[in-house]
Amino acid sequence: MSLFLGPMQKHIPGRKSLTDHSDAKILMPKKNVYIPVFTGRDSNCEILVNEGDHVDIGTKLYITKTGFEVPVYSSVSGTYTGMAKRPHNSLRPQPHMVIELSEEQKQIQAFEPLDWQSATFEQMLEFMKNSGIIGQGGAGFPTYVKYMKPDNINTLVINAVECEPYITADYKVIMDSVQDFVHGCRILQKLAGAQSCLIGVKKTHPDLIDCIRKELEKENVSGMEVRPVPDVYPMGGERTLIRTLLKREYDKLPSECGVIVNNANTAVLTARAFEKGEALSKKYVTFSGEALNYPTNVIVPVGMDVSEILEQIGGIKSDLESCKLIAGGPMMGKTMVANNIVIDRAMNAITVLKNKDLEAMTCMRCGNCTSHCPMGLQPVRIANAVKMNNTEEMEKRGAMLCIECGLCTYVCPSHIQVTENVRKAKRTLMMKKK
Amino acid sequence: MKFAFHVSPNLQSANSTQKIMRDLTIGLSVVFGCSVVYYFAAYGVSYALQAILLLACSLVTTFVCEAIFAKVKKLDIKEFISHSFGWVTSLILVMMCPISITPYAVIIATIFAIAVGRLMFGGFGYNIYNPAAVGRAVIFASFTGAATSLTTSATPTTVLSSTFNWLPGSADALGSYLDYVGGFGGLLLGSYPGAIGETVSLAILIVGVFLAVRNVIDWRMPVCYLGGIFIITALIAIFSGIDAYNGIPAWLWYPCLHLLTGGVIFGGVFMLTDPVTIPTVPAGRVFFALCAAVITVLIRLKGNLPEGCLYSILIMNTFTPMIESALDAPQLKQTKKAIIMSVCALVMGVCVAYYAASTTRAVNASKTLDAEGTVVAVIEEEDLA
Repeated sequence: MSLFLGPMQKHIPGRKSLTDHSDAKILMPKKNVYIPVFTGRDSNCEILVNEGDHVDIGTKLYITKTGFEVPVYSSVSGTYTGMAKRPHNSLRPQPHMVIELSEEQKQIQAFEPLDWQSATFEQMLEFMKNSGIIGQGGAGFPTYVKYMKPDNINTLVINAVECEPYITADYKVIMDSVQDFVHGCRILQKLAGAQSCLIGVKKTHPDLIDCIRKELEKENVSGMEVRPVPDVYPMGGERTLIRTLLKREYDKLPSECGVIVNNANTAVLTARAFEKGEALSKKYVTFSGEALNYPTNVIVPVGMDVSEILEQIGGIKSDLESCKLIAGGPMMGKTMVANNIVIDRAMNAITVLKNKDLEAMTCMRCGNCTSHCPMGLQPVRIANAVKMNNTEEMEKRGAMLCIECGLCTYVCPSHIQVTENVRKAKRTLMMKKK
Repeated sequence: MKFAFHVSPNLQSANSTQKIMRDLTIGLSVVFGCSVVYYFAAYGVSYALQAILLLACSLVTTFVCEAIFAKVKKLDIKEFISHSFGWVTSLILVMMCPISITPYAVIIATIFAIAVGRLMFGGFGYNIYNPAAVGRAVIFASFTGAATSLTTSATPTTVLSSTFNWLPGSADALGSYLDYVGGFGGLLLGSYPGAIGETVSLAILIVGVFLAVRNVIDWRMPVCYLGGIFIITALIAIFSGIDAYNGIPAWLWYPCLHLLTGGVIFGGVFMLTDPVTIPTVPAGRVFFALCAAVITVLIRLKGNLPEGCLYSILIMNTFTPMIESALDAPQLKQTKKAIIMSVCALVMGVCVAYYAASTTRAVNASKTLDAEGTVVAVIEEEDLA
């Protein structure tokens, strides 16, 4: 908070206690898993197995062909029975590989482990590329891409903040496998060639901070440090985290100011890939929200049907006529109109909320959206440009910089869907560019 | 089970426009209550009742205006009134009027404030000018004589303006003025008849801090506005070389005199912070408040009006769209521009201070005033010497 700028962040009640005290439940699907054949933008992929083939945990299933190359490995043992179009969290139906589970689950080594302490940068980067690790923060961007140009990088930031309300999956992952976590941080730090590695953890999770610090002491790691950060939203956003930890600003990518940011769960996956040759198969996913009977964390294979998980953990409160099923947290997650979507590789939560909306009123220009925007945008002004359909002004007012964190809608006392207005501006500008 | 679609985010804070307006109404009512208590204690029941009567007239007029508007627009009357928050305008308007004003004048002021100032622009959220200021400006200009026989005493502002040119130059002149208003303590606690709202400055400040902490009003507005007035008037005191008062240097007592006299504290806390009529971006708000401070001081010292706060707000309201379009880029990319703009506003303030100090004749004579505020005796400085 300064004279010319607002706080650019806001405390949001986290409601984490719904799920952070109980152990994660290990669940398995009864019959099938459905592996989405979709990465980021499209489903143009090369399938590497034939219908009827037997696959094991760790069998390479397909490789993406457009954009960055990412292999995807099987999360279960079973038989590949064909493709099916199913609802997907990208809001459009996408092709899924159907794998019928076999009785015995067997894990094979997806790839040869690599001794990272003696490996060269090129070897490690190639290994990362082959391991199929994608960012676990939600966006699902291939991790190796961030490390392709490691010049001038001096700091690696590991994001263990988990600022979205309700979600505790990352917290559970680190608590359950802190050794993998610290190894992963060290591998990523070496890969980035960064002198220091900062691990951002919310102040409100002192047990997690202690846990990581103890492990760091045990391994006697230097140049790595846990930094408690305030419990505000969007602290897990790259920009806000870098601003808080390092007091640096950048234009488009964190690498411009010498920083790479990776999610905590990504670090865990990295360690398992390097040390055990394991690809991503099981995920910690938080199932939480006021509309659930028993909110909990679950450990499930990638591709498990959400409706099946909901059934196994006790379902949605039966006295509700309708609810909001959100893939992700309540701030940035998208609502799903069907419950038979599957757990995708970058999904870390399903939030189920009661369906009640607040009535919108006239904007009174209070400026809360402007003073809280973590990007320093002026959502109310962008919304005005949208109303006037003035693309020039939308561009000038920086609509394209919006990270859609949703804070402007959250703080709006008139209950206006401010974020959606900015999204409209973004869509209009994208259309114009085409 | 139906799975409803909704755009993200799916979480909204418990804060609402209703809660903000409720807090503001409570804050204004506390200040109004303090004034009524003061009038009751100092002048008796009739004064207290007069204040309440004025408020009642204004509130009824507001509700009638809005009901008619809602009827014409075929809207639900109850919902329209409850979502229009006209009573806040009423409260502010009444508190800007002196206790001596007739109820008719208040009714006309309210009609202008609500109908012209607000409904004509489309209602709550769309008005360009602060509606209460519009209403007050109308009767300021046209109903100067419409005062009841309840009181004839001039307000501290009019006395300071007409008798002392807003620039009492010597300790004696200031002393004679302070004798009339009951000293600085009297100004702070409001033990003088002024506008209803400006009576208890201390209460306004406390309520202001409370509202700012609850994020009902933007703290930048009163801080920059009152801070701006303090700096400019301190410069005037330095440039014009007026005397110290009982050991208090002029650059300290003169700004205090400005801040505690007239409605600047009330204006800074309750009127300048009306979000509808000020820029939405913090940098723009700082610039807005600083410019309003410059205009206030300019009108006070060089204008023909006794008070500058009201008009400075109306003038700056006009520039709100301009300030907004000037500061339209992402905020982190325009901090430099915002700083330059604010520095320009301050430079303008320095110019105004120099201009005012060099052209205003300081009143050095000690003037004895009677209860009505008319001068009964003048002792020139030479005589004292």
